[in-house]
Amino acid sequence: MSDDNLFDDGVIERIADELREAERPSADFDARVMASVRGIARARRRERHGLWNRVTQPRTITVRPWRAGLAAAALLLCATLVGWGAHAFARMEAAAPATLASSGSQRIQFVLVAPNAKKVAVAGDFNGWDAQHPAYQAVHRGGGVWSVTARVPVGHHRYSFVVDDSLWVADPTAPRVIDDDFGTTNSAIVVEPEIR
Amino acid sequence: MDGSSDAAIVARVVRGDVEAFGQLVARYRDRYFRYAMHMLGNREDAEEALQDAFTRAFRSLSRCDDPERFGAWLFRILVNRCRTSGARRSRRLRTFVSDETALMDASEEHPAEQRAWREEIDRALARLRPDQREAFVLKYVEDLGYDEMSAATGVGVSALKMRVMRACDRLREMLSEVHSV
Repeated sequence: MSDDNLFDDGVIERIADELREAERPSADFDARVMASVRGIARARRRERHGLWNRVTQPRTITVRPWRAGLAAAALLLCATLVGWGAHAFARMEAAAPATLASSGSQRIQFVLVAPNAKKVAVAGDFNGWDAQHPAYQAVHRGGGVWSVTARVPVGHHRYSFVVDDSLWVADPTAPRVIDDDFGTTNSAIVVEPEIR
Repeated sequence: MDGSSDAAIVARVVRGDVEAFGQLVARYRDRYFRYAMHMLGNREDAEEALQDAFTRAFRSLSRCDDPERFGAWLFRILVNRCRTSGARRSRRLRTFVSDETALMDASEEHPAEQRAWREEIDRALARLRPDQREAFVLKYVEDLGYDEMSAATGVGVSALKMRVMRACDRLREMLSEVHSV
């Protein structure tokens, strides 16, 4: 049957014409919606900071002597590479990425201390934000220290650590960029060309 | 108003520009408020449903698969929200209270006869089964095609056609009882 015309005897159109008249919500409707979404955005920021604190707050770590030795070695390596890593290491939190020699791209070492993590990866614009990228999976070095060294192109980049495939954690020792209300606060890194 | 596409605005919001969401609110509020009014019958419930739809959309914006069709996505959220609200509340009573207020506030620009006609339409619409009211409003007020209606409601095209047909029959029947059409 011709569904559109079957009922078009004028009555229905008269009804529809009345109902098509504009209706507008109260003058303060937009303000109320925006107040609501701003509240959601603020709550998200607080939630992220809460998660962040749980991951990065200094805590007592019980380690076996051989693990402590391994961790100390890893930290020492990072401190040597970063130059200013002493502050970060003193807090047992994380080390900023350290650059290693190359050209066109550089090998960058990313280090995060996350004692309770089961998995740590690095995702950034240099790997398509792919936390599963095999070249950016950090290895647990003991004592809660995770690190990975991977090649990153010369230029400005944003990145984040991804803990246990779900928690996005900005590098506490690197500059942060973009307060993204739907994702994470990312870290920034500038990879310089090799100086010969 | 900013002439940016929905997709461009959605991208800004997802990147953290919360205030850009205001452009989407301004773009869709009036049209979608009309739908909520027809489905729920009073301003208070309609505003609550629409505000909730915008809020839910904001919460889930990063999961909006096709930002270019943000409006259609938001409308689906609103349709569901109106169903939930309509099922919770006693619509008819609230509608009649609302109508009395509307009559008292009515502008003199509208002849009494036209006001009465509109009032009868609202009453008849309120007496339709919710699924028939939904189908009728989508078809004849929002001017959607059956495929679009199906996408918005999750109901098959055949069922929607049947609902529209029954809604039309019922509206004719009710309005012919009280008004010579």
